[in-house]
Amino acid sequence: MTTTASSYTRPSWVKMNFQAIIGRSLPRVIGAYREPSWIFMETIMPILAIAAYVYIYKAMEAPPQYIGYVIIGGAMTAYWMNVLWSMAAQFYWEKEMGNLELYMMAPISRMSILGGMALGGMFNTSVRAVTTVVVGMFIFNIAFKLDDPLMFGLIFGLTLFALYGMGMMFASLYLLWGREAINLSNLMTDPIYLVSGFYFPVKYLGVLIGAAASIIPITLGLDAMRQLLFPGFGDGFLPVWVEMATLVVLCFVFFVLAKYMLDYMEMLGRRDGRLTMRWQ
Amino acid sequence: MSTLSVEVKSLGRTFSQKPKKGEKKSPIIALRDVNLQVREGELFGLLGPNGAGKTTLIKILSTLLLPSEGDALVHGHSVIKDANKIRYHINMVCGGESSGYGLLTVRENLWMFSQYYGMPSKFAKDRIDELLGIMDLKDKGDAKVRTLSTGMRQKMNMVRGFMTDPAIIFLDEPTLGLDVQTSRHIRAFVKEWVREKPSRTVLLTTHYMMEADELCDRIAIIDKGTVLACDTPLNLKRMVKRESVVKLEASGLKSGFDLSTVKGVHGTDMHTEPTTGLTRISLILEEESALADVLSALSVAGGRLQGMQKSDPTLEDVFIALVGRGLVNDDNGK
Amino acid sequence: MKNLWSTFKNASWLGWQMESNWAQPWLFFLYAVVRPIAGSLLLVVMYMVITGGTTGALFAYIYVGSALFMFVAQVLFGAAWVIHEDREHYQTLKYLYISPANFYAYIMGRSMGKIVLTAFSVVITMLFGVFALGLEMPLAAMNWPLIIVGMVLGLACITAFGLALAGISFLTARHAISMNESVAGIFYLFCGAIFPISALPVWSWGFAKAIPVSYWLYIMRMAIFGADSDVVALDTSMSGYDVQTGLLILVASTLVLIVVSVGIFKIGDYIARKKGLIDMTTAY
Repeated sequence: MTTTASSYTRPSWVKMNFQAIIGRSLPRVIGAYREPSWIFMETIMPILAIAAYVYIYKAMEAPPQYIGYVIIGGAMTAYWMNVLWSMAAQFYWEKEMGNLELYMMAPISRMSILGGMALGGMFNTSVRAVTTVVVGMFIFNIAFKLDDPLMFGLIFGLTLFALYGMGMMFASLYLLWGREAINLSNLMTDPIYLVSGFYFPVKYLGVLIGAAASIIPITLGLDAMRQLLFPGFGDGFLPVWVEMATLVVLCFVFFVLAKYMLDYMEMLGRRDGRLTMRWQ
Repeated sequence: MSTLSVEVKSLGRTFSQKPKKGEKKSPIIALRDVNLQVREGELFGLLGPNGAGKTTLIKILSTLLLPSEGDALVHGHSVIKDANKIRYHINMVCGGESSGYGLLTVRENLWMFSQYYGMPSKFAKDRIDELLGIMDLKDKGDAKVRTLSTGMRQKMNMVRGFMTDPAIIFLDEPTLGLDVQTSRHIRAFVKEWVREKPSRTVLLTTHYMMEADELCDRIAIIDKGTVLACDTPLNLKRMVKRESVVKLEASGLKSGFDLSTVKGVHGTDMHTEPTTGLTRISLILEEESALADVLSALSVAGGRLQGMQKSDPTLEDVFIALVGRGLVNDDNGK
Repeated sequence: MKNLWSTFKNASWLGWQMESNWAQPWLFFLYAVVRPIAGSLLLVVMYMVITGGTTGALFAYIYVGSALFMFVAQVLFGAAWVIHEDREHYQTLKYLYISPANFYAYIMGRSMGKIVLTAFSVVITMLFGVFALGLEMPLAAMNWPLIIVGMVLGLACITAFGLALAGISFLTARHAISMNESVAGIFYLFCGAIFPISALPVWSWGFAKAIPVSYWLYIMRMAIFGADSDVVALDTSMSGYDVQTGLLILVASTLVLIVVSVGIFKIGDYIARKKGLIDMTTAY
């Protein structure tokens, strides 16, 4: 019947999960190539929404650095939306398609599946973010002053890492819930834009709200990136090094929490029979 | 003495129902005190009507669902405590499965799933190609999944399930909705796969008695969450050999006609063809002498006997004998 | 006619169920109240950061425009999302398609759930603006007949746009979400939703005034604040249009839009049927 060797040497747990990440990223990468409509939708169009916020500041005669704040915030929106909808909510869609049970049965970490989704979508997301920044710079004549690109890169990387860890944590909710989780994501979208200071410096929300919002990695990440790109305006919430240290802690906290929550929610899903229940 | 691949111990599963205001709803008992042992190398069948609990049992054994009571050991590990350890050794294929990504090709989908089991990439590609060839799907390897017909999709699912060479594979109604040729192909593949390596075990759920009869070394008959009998197909049929299995054809019978109350009738199953009005009746009689009472009841009800045949018992007859109704009917042979 | 009404009614029921039956009524109510307020607060805070308060004609302009824009975002999203959702998630589109039910009526009906919920959200947002933020909106000064006419025309216009997007959705993959967001982004930028059109470069005014939604928002502000108010006067690009002219343009452009949208929908439908895309699954 079969002529290939009937079994193979199972790789180490680390290698197996790395393979799983690559495997799950494949649909996203190939999808982006085969359905190129995303190029227009994810590059030109989001700039329009950002431009609206730019013009509202112009109508209010805001200082020019606020235009820059909007552009950077708009670029990071791409990653926030990717985390919320293309990663966290993805387990809901996978359940509807009948793939979730196959993932649950496989001997790999759920975080690898989510990591693969994030990796696969990273190209599209980054194209959206970079286009927003580049086009925004040219159309609105914004000049960034980056004296410490290494620090900027580090802050950006830590922000993404912590953000995706938070996204994995949210994804666990979708193992148990259905439309409740979708509506929770809907509910979170605008408040997060507000409290994280996507379009204005978070320091103007006050110390208490700013501190509470700091649990969301984008809050401090955006604030630090703005301080590095537009130094000297005094619009920062905390010193950059404090924000960087906090992001390091958040990275660790969210990934650990994600692991526990995914395991716990999976157990609840298995207990209540919700892992394979469609149309919840 | 062969080792056990699957051991189910007093397994129960209940689903609670959300009652409406003022209503009281009792929980649904999907499985009740199920005890089973599946030996390594066995092709084990779970036969029962829709809603019997077959899929619920499979979901528990494949670690997708926790039992409410009892436990099960799959490949020596508990489904409750050691689900992660079990997953290295199992896989599952369901009937009517719609998994995969429509935008990817068949090979791409299969390769993606192979990576979740740590298969080396080249090895996976070779194995996929080989299995696609066996499944007569090689020319569709580069076709997008969304262009496949139902049968082709199920064949792809079969490749997905078998390519990881699991020690235990769960097949949940794998030929559901497929044409005769495809079903035959899949059954032949499953039979050969088990024969090829003695350590491979298959747990197959089906409500097609012919499929269970053809494939399975042993069959557990399950209904309303309970295992009614578990033995080889031959021994199960011998259970009803002592009794008489009679097949009647009658016309002129009105709906609601019921033979189960006639003395000596152990079990009955009736189907009326809407176009011809002909009613086919399968009877399990405790003794042949009960036939006279049956024919009498038929006549009183205005029926006219068109044909009669005494036959060897089938698994359907075994089911009727155990439960009192047919395998394909949900309530009392109607 | 009976079929049309029946389909619309049943689709409306279905749309409402999908919007609401995921939670207990009290939780759903909380969600319906919190979500629009949280959305409006972003612009409020942006305004406060720059100007220090919530007074002035510009604040009223921004706040009311942002509240009304919820209709645009939600209805556009709702109509186009129906195709994607029924096709990919529930896989019922093909069964609906082959039934004698009127497909336009079905899409309109499914959108009704979103329209009702959005109407509630807009009212909540306006009330929040008046009582919590000091927004000046004297009820006695409002032109209620104009508000009603404006809303009917506006919803017809927005729903027509949604129908066109629904037709395009037949042909797109999971990017239906991005597409809706993008089109809503165009309107957000060019229609005077959150800032006067006159704040845009002059060369873009022509494009902005070609979009019916610009007139809808302009008429609604006239109806709420008065045709001669400071709020309406902020947008100098529309200063040549009085109520009658604005209404006329809105009616004419909405009628043209309805015809064009039905055309786009028919073309999308035809191409989808020709290419066998009615039941395609594209999620990845």
